[in-house]
Amino acid sequence: MNTVLYILIQLGVFVLLAPLVNGVIKKVKAFSQKRKGPPLAQLYYDLSKLLKKDCVISDTASWVFTAAPYIFLVTTLLAALFVPVTVFLQPFSFQGDIILAIYILALGRFFMTLAGLDTGSTFGGMGSSREMMIASLMEPALLVAVLTLGLHSGSTSVFAIMHKGMEGVPYLFHPANILLFAAILIILLAETARIPVDDPATHLELTMVHEAMLLEYSGRHLALIELAASVKQLFFITVLANLFLPLEVFIHTDIHTIALILGLGLYFLKVMALTLLVALVELYTVKLRFFSVPNLAAASFALAFLGFIQYFVVGR
Amino acid sequence: METCLDFLSLLILVSSFVLVSSKRISSYITAFKMQSLVLAVAAGLLGIHNLFVEGLPDVLILCVFIVILKVVYIPRLLRTTYQKVEYRVEKDFFLNIPISILICAGLVLLTYFCLYNLEGILSGHLRFYFMNSLSVVLIGLFFMITRKKAIGQIVGFLVLENGMFTMALLSYGMPFIIDLGILVDLLTAVMIMGMLVFRINETFESIDINRLRKLRG
Repeated sequence: MNTVLYILIQLGVFVLLAPLVNGVIKKVKAFSQKRKGPPLAQLYYDLSKLLKKDCVISDTASWVFTAAPYIFLVTTLLAALFVPVTVFLQPFSFQGDIILAIYILALGRFFMTLAGLDTGSTFGGMGSSREMMIASLMEPALLVAVLTLGLHSGSTSVFAIMHKGMEGVPYLFHPANILLFAAILIILLAETARIPVDDPATHLELTMVHEAMLLEYSGRHLALIELAASVKQLFFITVLANLFLPLEVFIHTDIHTIALILGLGLYFLKVMALTLLVALVELYTVKLRFFSVPNLAAASFALAFLGFIQYFVVGR
Repeated sequence: METCLDFLSLLILVSSFVLVSSKRISSYITAFKMQSLVLAVAAGLLGIHNLFVEGLPDVLILCVFIVILKVVYIPRLLRTTYQKVEYRVEKDFFLNIPISILICAGLVLLTYFCLYNLEGILSGHLRFYFMNSLSVVLIGLFFMITRKKAIGQIVGFLVLENGMFTMALLSYGMPFIIDLGILVDLLTAVMIMGMLVFRINETFESIDINRLRKLRG
């Protein structure tokens, strides 16, 4: 019963909150340019409209093309299940589930790149190859960062890391964690096609990465992909929010339901704060030339690696 | 206090990574400026601590000197030098940036292994400061040998000096006079090197040190 409740809350939060995060980022950007910008709920409208529309599928497309959006959405939601939104939920956690979550995301990405190649359009192929390059560059940094967190808490399960974070000294003030936070923030920007790596607002074919892969999609399939992309973004924001900002320490109630509701509210605030941070980073940086992306990846890796070394020097 | 200094020494290390990953001359002068600023903040914290606990104002005076020399004057000097010599956009480094960042990470690992087994006075926080600042020294040295432009080498030297200064400041500290002497030395060194850059530029029509190998009558 508890597990069913957990899955329901988790999926509900992710699916309902994810498009809002996109809306907030767009709104912040619009304000900075003295525009009014689209309404916060724009992505919800877009999704509901796209869901009503027909799909146009190329004659040369194989089954991969139609299956990929579903696989992408399902894998992303599955990965999201491993990152509990608050510590007050009882998730199904086991050793190594964060690594599993990362590679489940990689599976979804694999199918998206296949789908990009499937129709044989030039842009799709270009987008796929770029996506793969970025993914392979960012993966080492992400794993080093995550494993260092695992070292700190003696476990590679998200739930255990979150619990450990609530004990002892404030977690973020540990010098290593600031480095890891920065490393994962860079990875978040790269994985979710944000500005230093990819420009989410552009439709200029030569520069786009994520958009190029889904150029051939329309209607229902496009809606699924857009939703999955925003869920993936929320996944990384949740990782940052819950592993590095364990503010649930401040909630002291005995009644579990109230604690849960307070925890969800706190989670919402944390996500909004991090969304603001992402939007600000996006405002103050420029899109990198594609061949400069390795520099960014190397910087992220160096940060994660330094965090890893600090663990051995200072200990916890 | 110690958490703060931990964090600042770490920031000095991170800023040297920023330095290695920056491409253009103006951006690495800025990186050096930021590093000196962090150093100045650390010195300021220590200075205030010393003033109120032991009643000695010397570290605070040192902090003022750091701000004047390293944060304001030397970066400006470097910038004017760089604006006066003719500048073309060229590839400025021997190794590309990802590789140099990875090598710098390797250098950090090296210092870690060298210092880890040292016991005695090097324990806890002190070892942490020592490790970070020694890595900054090595990274500065590495930066000097990977950049082609003469200004890059000056910046590398300055970063190396920043590392040593951090090491001295955060451990037991040097006598005040020696610290001041080092700063004045540094100033003279940078001025002379600035002159040298002009001379190199006049003679070889570029500040690319690769060209120094060619003989000129």
